Amino acid sequence: MKVKAIAALVSATICALSLAACGHRRGPAPGQLTLGMVTDVGGLGDRSFNDSAYRGLLTSKAKLGAYIQVLQSRSAADYQPNLTALTNLHFKMIYAIGFLMGLDLDQVAKQHPDQRYAIVDAVINDPNVVSITFREQDGSFLAGALAAMVSKTHHIAFLGGQDIPLIEKFAAGYEAGAREIDPNIKIDVKYAGSFDDVAAGKELANLLFNDGADIIYTAAGKVGLGAIDAVKSRNDDYIIGVDSDQDALAPGRVLTSMVKKVDVAVFDVARSLQEGKPMHGHVVFGLKDGAIGLTDFKYTRAAIGEANIARLHAIQAAIVSGKIVPPDSLKALADFKPVAL
Amino acid sequence: MGALILSLLVLTLIKATPIIYAALGGVLSERSGVINIGLEGMMAIGAFTAVIVSYATRQPLLGILAGIAAGALLGYVLGVAATRFKVDQIVAGMGINLICAGGAAYGLVLIFNQPGASAQVPALGRHYGVLVALAFVAALVLQWLLTRTPWGLRVRACGENPAALASAGIDPLAMRLAAVTLSGALAGLGGAFLSLGELNLYSDGMTAGRGFIALAAVIFGRWNPLGATAACVVFGLFEALQYVLQGRIAWLPADAMQALPYLAALFALAGITGRVRAPASDGVPY
Repeated sequence: MKVKAIAALVSATICALSLAACGHRRGPAPGQLTLGMVTDVGGLGDRSFNDSAYRGLLTSKAKLGAYIQVLQSRSAADYQPNLTALTNLHFKMIYAIGFLMGLDLDQVAKQHPDQRYAIVDAVINDPNVVSITFREQDGSFLAGALAAMVSKTHHIAFLGGQDIPLIEKFAAGYEAGAREIDPNIKIDVKYAGSFDDVAAGKELANLLFNDGADIIYTAAGKVGLGAIDAVKSRNDDYIIGVDSDQDALAPGRVLTSMVKKVDVAVFDVARSLQEGKPMHGHVVFGLKDGAIGLTDFKYTRAAIGEANIARLHAIQAAIVSGKIVPPDSLKALADFKPVAL
Repeated sequence: MGALILSLLVLTLIKATPIIYAALGGVLSERSGVINIGLEGMMAIGAFTAVIVSYATRQPLLGILAGIAAGALLGYVLGVAATRFKVDQIVAGMGINLICAGGAAYGLVLIFNQPGASAQVPALGRHYGVLVALAFVAALVLQWLLTRTPWGLRVRACGENPAALASAGIDPLAMRLAAVTLSGALAGLGGAFLSLGELNLYSDGMTAGRGFIALAAVIFGRWNPLGATAACVVFGLFEALQYVLQGRIAWLPADAMQALPYLAALFALAGITGRVRAPASDGVPY
């Protein structure tokens, strides 16, 4: 009697659970576009890279009716198991977010040549992997041009995290953009030697401002937060933020932010797959894809002025049309000549 | 030129201050015979707790006090491990560093619902100069305590020959526990200076190795509060110099400039190695 009761209870529970499972977590319909994503250790909620990629998935769900699933990685040891788990579910496209996952994806992709993958910010040379990178120099060029237009002291600055090739793309584009507007502008360049040392960001920003620069473009991760803190107590100086929209962190004192929209790239890859024209190889996103660009000057439009904004649009058009080619390294910067528009 | 020298001086003091607090903690702890390699983690938790309390109460001063208390608590934990349980002090200290870094990162997610950095909270703002001055006052007071008071004599005896202290009827373990707890409090204050003095937020990794620089300053300053303070000021000066010189000397890359303070410390340490002597029972469990 007792055994029967327990058996009934257990089977009832299993039924209830499986019904609940049916109700909430339906699998993909046959033929539905299925997108999987593996975050890097930053995870969802990082307000930058991973969240931006996730927004791209949500857009794909809304606009393409895609079925989406995300696996978060707690440590680098999770990358391969997560990628393999999604591979076994036969998703039509699996996104690996961040260059940290490059080597792991390379191995998994070689083992599963029939599965499509995409990776952000790294270039993997496998036939079944789409490598997505960004033309950070394009947006940085606009940031530099804007800085040169707005600067009253004809003296601006760049604050980098570490002197590495990725950050060089930002520095080279910025300097070239500033020279496009004002060939004789003074540009100070300093590096914090870190992407974490927020206090160093504040100290260096104060130093650059005190030296006479009135606009600083930061490409330094969290070090930039210190620079934004420094500009709050100043009346005539500005910071240009980076990666995500940082304008609201010090309204009116953050001139604009150079945003890198991973979501746009993620959506484009999904859409091309849906349309039957899947992307291959190395795909570079820039201004013309709307994946790189400045914010819309919500707090600083008056300070910049409509004439300058119009000029900025003209430069943006020239970059998109290829008339201006922003340099992506200091070597290319040395050969850069301002282009008459 | 005058403006340049002034900004160099101000920058030197700002750079030195958090390291001075941690280094004073290091001196006190090591003079009592316990190596406190957990200074970095104690700074991080001091910085983190200060921000949380300031966020909750809107009182930055309470935040600073909470940062000190959190550092003291961690110091107490290290003290108990080093005295009662005779744990290897280096291992215990490293454990504290790891727990603190992970704990603060997790706390950010729990409290602010975002990894990486906290929201902006009420901070000292312009009044943070008080904490800069206080660092030097603390150095003088600690120097006086260690060299001119019976308590200081006992702390030093504890680091040289705890058995002799015990034979005089004083419990060396209690002395060490008190010294390490105070050491943690000082490191916590150093962290709180960073998060609520200079800045107004906590961000993962914001202590950026300052606790380890402080350990070097302890040795460089020959386990003396004033000596360690001087070492911190020298380090701050070279850090400030590299900030100012970066980009002014075209053929020197930024990376080389950033190595300047560490090179200076290395040369200074190598130059005086023969003459320094740690407390005889430094790091030796009693």
